[in-house]
Amino acid sequence: MIRRLSFVCLLLGALFIPAIAQADNMLMGRMPLRAEIVLEYLKESIEEHGYTIAHLQLCDGGMKDFGYKSDFYRVVFFGKADEVRHLTEKYPEIVSYLPLKMAVIAEKDETLLAIMNPEALAPYFPGQEMQIQLGRWHSDLVSIFDEVRRETAQHKPIGQ
Amino acid sequence: MSLRRYLVLAGALLSGIGSPALLLAAPNGQALYEEHCSACHQMEGQGGIGLPLMNAKLSDVSDLYLRKTIRLGRPGRVMPAFQKMSDAQVDAIVKFLRDSSGTVARTFTDEPVVGDAANGEKLYTENCVKCHGEDGSGEGEGTGVTLSRERTFLVMPASISNSGFLASASDQMIKQVIINGRRLSGMPSFGHDRLQESEINDLVAYVRSFEEQERQVEALDEDERPTHVYESPYDFDTTVSNVKAALTGANFRIFPDRYIEQGLVDEFSMNTRQVGVRFCNFNVMYGMLKIEPRLGTVLPCRISILERKDGSVLLVVPNLRVVSRWFNNDELVGLWDRMEETFTEIVDEVTL
Repeated sequence: MIRRLSFVCLLLGALFIPAIAQADNMLMGRMPLRAEIVLEYLKESIEEHGYTIAHLQLCDGGMKDFGYKSDFYRVVFFGKADEVRHLTEKYPEIVSYLPLKMAVIAEKDETLLAIMNPEALAPYFPGQEMQIQLGRWHSDLVSIFDEVRRETAQHKPIGQ
Repeated sequence: MSLRRYLVLAGALLSGIGSPALLLAAPNGQALYEEHCSACHQMEGQGGIGLPLMNAKLSDVSDLYLRKTIRLGRPGRVMPAFQKMSDAQVDAIVKFLRDSSGTVARTFTDEPVVGDAANGEKLYTENCVKCHGEDGSGEGEGTGVTLSRERTFLVMPASISNSGFLASASDQMIKQVIINGRRLSGMPSFGHDRLQESEINDLVAYVRSFEEQERQVEALDEDERPTHVYESPYDFDTTVSNVKAALTGANFRIFPDRYIEQGLVDEFSMNTRQVGVRFCNFNVMYGMLKIEPRLGTVLPCRISILERKDGSVLLVVPNLRVVSRWFNNDELVGLWDRMEETFTEIVDEVTL
């Protein structure tokens, strides 16, 4: 009975996979707000999804000298300590991709968020545990994108 | 999960799918565009990593061309192939583009253009090679227009030898583009007495002949994995020291070490026998960012050194050949295939 229900749930769940799941090896989203504001929403959403922000890397130093107009290019490193510890021990190959990293790139008054789709690694880890793990990351990332998109859409400048 | 929770979940899903509104609702083209396309083409279609989708460009192509472009993408040129989308979703995006731009689709017949490709090559060399390059792949570094950086053109010259373009564009469409030009892209008109119709036909035949060219990207070996894992013959501290010496010798700048768990746990709980040695060469890095602005998702380069419970030490190095192919950018692939050789030499030096 439980197996049948699981199958039904999986089947129905597949029908409701958000559109971003169809994208390629990169997950990307454009937010119509300045990068500094989007970054704050992003950090909040990442933490609400149970992750810890490990590090915020400033990448834009010196970019102007190389023809970049933007002065804002950040990478947010985030993860869950127990996951990172367990996976590093059991699947050392995955450590190159941990913690997860999301690029926050300004483009005038809009912001591009980009991250590698964890499911790009799925073909290399056929075991059930990693398939579930990669799927969970993907699902969380889609949810984070959706949440940031919702929040930024509702954002109103101070005073309005 | 308990049976009760399964039933609740199944019930919730069934109630959702049972909703006629949900079942019958047409795909929302705007929402699909914002999710799938806007990241590269911008919210209003101004173009970014992807080409602009402005009125002038949309009004000289057919809906079939747009649908095929979405389906097939541009292999090796950033734009992915959206093969999992339903026909209704693709149609909804195209309709949204039409409605929001106020353009009307052009229609082209399927009638093939017959011409002399050999003469077309001569004409191509005289008129087109400056922008589209000898191999038709477009001129200049990178793909698309801009991502927070300056470009000479609003639109980079199109890769007209790309298999996605050639499979999407009909002969008649290519002919019309040559005749009318594309002002937005800086492409002049070659019709109106500049070239005879027979010469334009020859050019179309030559452009079509690019289909016979194979992509130059080397295929991955079947057993190639996204990471190399090597066992170090040395202890942890010696291995870390050797890695840094080898990287310095290869002219890389080394950033301060970061422990793998750093920032995720407090400093007393942190495993300090798992470290990432991060490095880059700034000139090379910014050169790469010009080719692929999203490289922040994988840079800077890092070699991880892990001490196992049994005392053995592992070196974990990303396989750039695999990673580069995730970006669908042939230029990056070529660069990182060479960089991968450098990584291999470094690891060889470290583990000698």
